[in-house]
Amino acid sequence: MNKKAYSIYTVVLAAALVFVLSAACLFSPEKDFSESERRKLAKFPELSAETLLNGKFMEGFESYSLDQFPLRDSFRRLKAFAQYNVFNLKDSNGIYVADGYAAKLVYPLKEGSVLDAAAKFGEIYDLYLGNSGGKIVVSIVPDKGYFLGEANGYPVMDYEKLEKLLTENMPYAEYCGIFDTLSIEDYYTTDTHWRQEKILPAAKKIAAALGFELSERYTENEAEVDFYGVYYGQSALPLPADRINYVTSKVISEATVYNAETGATGGIYDFGKLQSKDPYEFFLSGAAALLTVENPAAAEEKELVIFRDSFGSAIAPYLIEGYSKVTLVDTRYIAPALLGDYVDFTNCDVLFLYSTLVLNESSVLK
Amino acid sequence: MLFSSVPFLFYFLPAVMLCYFVAPKKLKNAVLLVFSLLFYAWGEPRYVFLMAFSIVMGYVFGLLIEKYRGKKTAKLLLAASVVISIGLLGYFKYADFFIGNFNAATGLSLPLLKIALPIGISFYTFQILSYTIDVYRGSAKARRNIVDFGAYVALFPQLIAGPIVRYTDIDAELTERTHSFEKAAFGIERFVVGLGKKVLISNAFGELCSIFRASGEKSVLFYWVYAVAFTLQIYFDFSGYSDMAIGLGRIFGFHFPENFDYPYISRSITEFWRRWHMSLGSWFRDYVYIPLGGNRVSKPRWFFNIFAVWMLTGFWHGADWQFIAWGLMYAVLLIIEKLFFKKALERLPAVIGHIYVMFFVITGFVLFNAEGIGGAVSDICAMFGAGNLPLVTAETLYYLRSYAVIFAVGIIGATPLLKIISDRIRSGKGERFFGLLRPVLLCGVLLLVTAYLVDGSFNPFLYFRF
Repeated sequence: MNKKAYSIYTVVLAAALVFVLSAACLFSPEKDFSESERRKLAKFPELSAETLLNGKFMEGFESYSLDQFPLRDSFRRLKAFAQYNVFNLKDSNGIYVADGYAAKLVYPLKEGSVLDAAAKFGEIYDLYLGNSGGKIVVSIVPDKGYFLGEANGYPVMDYEKLEKLLTENMPYAEYCGIFDTLSIEDYYTTDTHWRQEKILPAAKKIAAALGFELSERYTENEAEVDFYGVYYGQSALPLPADRINYVTSKVISEATVYNAETGATGGIYDFGKLQSKDPYEFFLSGAAALLTVENPAAAEEKELVIFRDSFGSAIAPYLIEGYSKVTLVDTRYIAPALLGDYVDFTNCDVLFLYSTLVLNESSVLK
Repeated sequence: MLFSSVPFLFYFLPAVMLCYFVAPKKLKNAVLLVFSLLFYAWGEPRYVFLMAFSIVMGYVFGLLIEKYRGKKTAKLLLAASVVISIGLLGYFKYADFFIGNFNAATGLSLPLLKIALPIGISFYTFQILSYTIDVYRGSAKARRNIVDFGAYVALFPQLIAGPIVRYTDIDAELTERTHSFEKAAFGIERFVVGLGKKVLISNAFGELCSIFRASGEKSVLFYWVYAVAFTLQIYFDFSGYSDMAIGLGRIFGFHFPENFDYPYISRSITEFWRRWHMSLGSWFRDYVYIPLGGNRVSKPRWFFNIFAVWMLTGFWHGADWQFIAWGLMYAVLLIIEKLFFKKALERLPAVIGHIYVMFFVITGFVLFNAEGIGGAVSDICAMFGAGNLPLVTAETLYYLRSYAVIFAVGIIGATPLLKIISDRIRSGKGERFFGLLRPVLLCGVLLLVTAYLVDGSFNPFLYFRF
């Protein structure tokens, strides 16, 4: 090929690529939401003299041009592929895949964060639990890194130290360790969370710590939905979908759930959420500041309050059996100082159940 | 606006290309000036007025200096031009440095001005200075057309991170330049290679440096990993930007000077500075070192000249003591080399020269990138085992393993090996196949870069702060 022909060939090919993508940027319809990333996409920013002069328009346009880029998900997958398979990076956007499971690098242990969480729980104890008369139990849900990290050469936080730090700073609570009841198979492959149908041993251990035994017979059911968890979108790696399984029993079927924020009453499982952006919200309708679960089949009037993060949604249905009423509090969404207006802690058992993910980033707790 | 951004690649660039190549010849510089000001205003809406003032100031002084050339008035006008240019640079870039040090020395607490640094001010100020000085010397003619002159100062390909294009470099091309498919193809290749260096390699090292900074479990090895990573990051960042600038310039018919020539293969510090940021080195040589007398003076005066130039070189990079210390470190090394080591280095095996250069370059960049002098001392001491750090941690090993391929790519890419292989293929039997494949590979790189940008990866430009 002579030099001129080569040059024309180069210019035409590169110009075609740039101008085609440019035209696609200009003429592609705007999207509202990214299913894979589970977030709203940036819109065209407000154009005015003020936004031009203060630079807000430019900032907004940068975000808009990235979020609305044509074939955005395909480009994200291309990047993840290159990161993993060309540059051989061990993680993509902080997410790695080992033994078929996607997990997040949660490292190192942030001791200050754990102590901060313990201090926040201490405030709750001082406000409401000092003379409540019930049992107080604390338990920790390990993230997937606990099972996958070390064996696959990824750095892991010091889980023992985390347990020690938290329990030593919660002397009023009995610690119920559930790490030994779990394995990596008890988690979704593409998501942060544990699988409800697999965590009966953990539920049994917590129930025992609270002073009762789980005696119900549970039936396992499969929801007809492909579940792509949060790590699927974050990593942009090609991972197969999970299935959501759930357990039913007489108690679970009869229980009713009241959401204090929305005023809505429903069941333990929210089948409408299976088609939502996050099908894990199927369990107790997802994130909520304050939920009250009533168990009409309870043998006695006894109440449990669970301070929890999202992991609590899957395990709480097992614990209903021992109580007439279970209140689930998520202090990421409600300040503890307000709880006295909604919850009577007298004679209540209390469970603090948090994942290592939240304990290591406890600034999310109020 | 960053070259390595979606707004630049897929909005600005196609628009400027269309307008530029459609515009008649006499309007091409006007198109470049308008788009260059838009490019600058995108990142610095307010400072575009400062840029416009600098253009008018340089233009007027150029005309006046030429008018009075050979007379004392010309000297006064040149002095005024230099004072105003350096004064603006001093005010916007160095005011808080001087106030802070004045406060520290006197115990006073004068308030800091906290002025945001206008992007690229160090580059375009030096370009305007080179213009007025060259007009004064008679080595350049004053530009009569303010649009042409504005296009020279604001020319977006090299506006914010160089190379420092002197007026005499492109004087003729401002009015008479040609465009061709050959030039455009060369420009596209250089631009895409630079883009790849910046987005795929430099940003990866940048992420590793950020991980190191955020790490709570540092080790001696991690400090060295960081030091090497930053050394590679800054090379691929800055040389990538220069490649993009040179490539874009060529598409528009300009020949910008080269800025990097594989500096990390140098066998002496003298050689390193002939290969690193060449446009800055030659600027200081021609406008500071030689006017001070260069090396044709007494030895003490020669040493003074070297120290002055390297202190200014360091200070040009940033308004902090660590940059001055970084410059002075090179002054000391260069003097020692010139006095004692130069011949010995030439006789020693090449590997010893490489180790010597890279040791000081890597240590120098740790100093350069530190949080002040205190931070630099702490970082450099930690590299040599001070601070009771463990030699290695699990985290260090993880990131070393994870970034092994990036390091390999970076180290090989910092040598001319790939260029040598590419040139051999081109000149050999694979020329035809390679000719067909090369543009496809370039498009592949462009697509991959786009993927990295769309995912919003870590994307700073280190040299923007200068």
